[in-house]
Amino acid sequence: MKGKLVKVFVFMMFLCEFANSQSNTESITFNPTFADKQINLADSSFYLRDSSNFQIEVLKFYISKLQLLKNGKVVFTEKHGAFLIDISKPLSCKINIAKYIDFDAIQFNLGIDSTINVSGAMGGDLDPTKGMYWTWQSGYINFKLEGKNNLCKTRNHEFQFHLGGYVSPFNSLQTVKLPVKNKSKVVIDLDVKKIIENIDFKKQHSIMSPTSDAVCFSALVAKAFSIN
Amino acid sequence: MKLKLIVVFAIVIVVSAFQYESEKPFVVPKNWPNPVYNFKLNPLSKNKIELGRALFYDTKLSRNNTISCASCHSPYSAFTHIDHALSHGIEDKIGKRNSPALMNLAWQTLFMHDGAVNHLDVQALAPISNPLEMDESIINVVSKLQNSKLYPRLFYKAFGDSVVTGERTLKSLSQFMLTLVSCNSKYDSVMRKQTVFTKQENSGYQLFKQHCGNCHTEPLFTNNLFMNNGLPIDTTLNDVGRFGVTKNANDSLKFKVPTLRNIEFSYPYMHDGRFKKLSEVLNHYTNGIKQSKTLAHELKKPLNLTSNEKVDIIAFLLTLSDRSFLFNPKFSYPKTIFLQAAKD
Repeated sequence: MKGKLVKVFVFMMFLCEFANSQSNTESITFNPTFADKQINLADSSFYLRDSSNFQIEVLKFYISKLQLLKNGKVVFTEKHGAFLIDISKPLSCKINIAKYIDFDAIQFNLGIDSTINVSGAMGGDLDPTKGMYWTWQSGYINFKLEGKNNLCKTRNHEFQFHLGGYVSPFNSLQTVKLPVKNKSKVVIDLDVKKIIENIDFKKQHSIMSPTSDAVCFSALVAKAFSIN
Repeated sequence: MKLKLIVVFAIVIVVSAFQYESEKPFVVPKNWPNPVYNFKLNPLSKNKIELGRALFYDTKLSRNNTISCASCHSPYSAFTHIDHALSHGIEDKIGKRNSPALMNLAWQTLFMHDGAVNHLDVQALAPISNPLEMDESIINVVSKLQNSKLYPRLFYKAFGDSVVTGERTLKSLSQFMLTLVSCNSKYDSVMRKQTVFTKQENSGYQLFKQHCGNCHTEPLFTNNLFMNNGLPIDTTLNDVGRFGVTKNANDSLKFKVPTLRNIEFSYPYMHDGRFKKLSEVLNHYTNGIKQSKTLAHELKKPLNLTSNEKVDIIAFLLTLSDRSFLFNPKFSYPKTIFLQAAKD
């Protein structure tokens, strides 16, 4: 009897080991940059074309409905829902997906769609304690960029761009689709320079509600994603 | 011996089944529409409702631990803040609106007078973070609850582990608020043919259906829409209502049509509490309508009511008072929970 139990135990251990070695995943990494330079919050001071000094303090955004495509057809949809990518937490910038999926493009939403936005309190990365939810008016903040620019005529030259809104005409949700050449190591760059180089910081320094500005800004962010 | 035990066991099961039936936390009253709230995403349970009730009455939800939800939504006034035109919050700061009465929330589509909140679950976030109301953040609330003696225990009972999260906190609050169903007024008894209106009440009911029932639709006594009911704008507040949320000019000066249930207890009236008495409200509809682009078409012609007819309508409105709702011990301050916590 005892011997049998031991055998079963050993077999189960073997199974677990086998399962572990098989369940390898590969990851998709989001990599915020300023032009070619990787952004490090401890040293995030950059000079812009107009020679103003630009500093990033917060960069957080939601990625949802991540899909992998092959020849234009969806071959995989990430069921987890939404991921909060926070540059201050490197682990949050990696999304694991199952290995052995053959794909040539990746598609995701920048932000949270209207269905989730009207479905009540959510948990995990969507928990309102994550600081990405408006309180005075329901809705997720899809993208947050905060920092300083000496051109901003605000207290401490601060700027705050909180982009969100899920109701037309201020629906700021964006869909991003990128071709993938090397699927073994997918790194999605987000070039902040591309987002802000067209902004006149003398005039624009705060977006904190669903507006047409938020929609335009969101479209700029969507265009700043790329895979090298 | 064994047989005896089985019989006793069977009786216990049958009795407890009946008990369970009578204690169902939420029942859709007969002839009412289906609730809007999706209970599948937040199935009610006794322990979650109890947790929500504790949270509703707990001042920990405010920055300096002085204000609870019940501060502005007290049960005996149909869960609103009476006596104050504009409700006051933390450090006696005055808000810009009169707190709405809370009842039958499972049938509501949007929340707040301007519909800024889209779901009951996320409603509490607004007063918690409003600097004039509770001036706290949900992040701090969660950490205060987690570090208390009481709440890890209540969360454990409700969720099977003691972890406090924003989602759990909000969903538990929803659970309690969903149980606040008012469906036992005299009006309801009349509709169930258990009693009859007096002559005056009946006259008022007929007039009500003719003049008011279009927007204050039975049986919830609201159509859940946003309408401009012709109130002249208060220039000390300049509250544009729904326009502030949608930025659509067609929504200017529109506010949510409130339920009239328990209206006897939820004075003062209107989003800014400008009317203290029901007679003032009716006088507004006959003599005070301010014409404007977005005025409800029902009110383009002011109501034509004699003073006797107004008295009859008010007699009918008083039949919407539901004392079994106002004084339901299940909705009141959870003495036993808090007393036990204080002893610990």
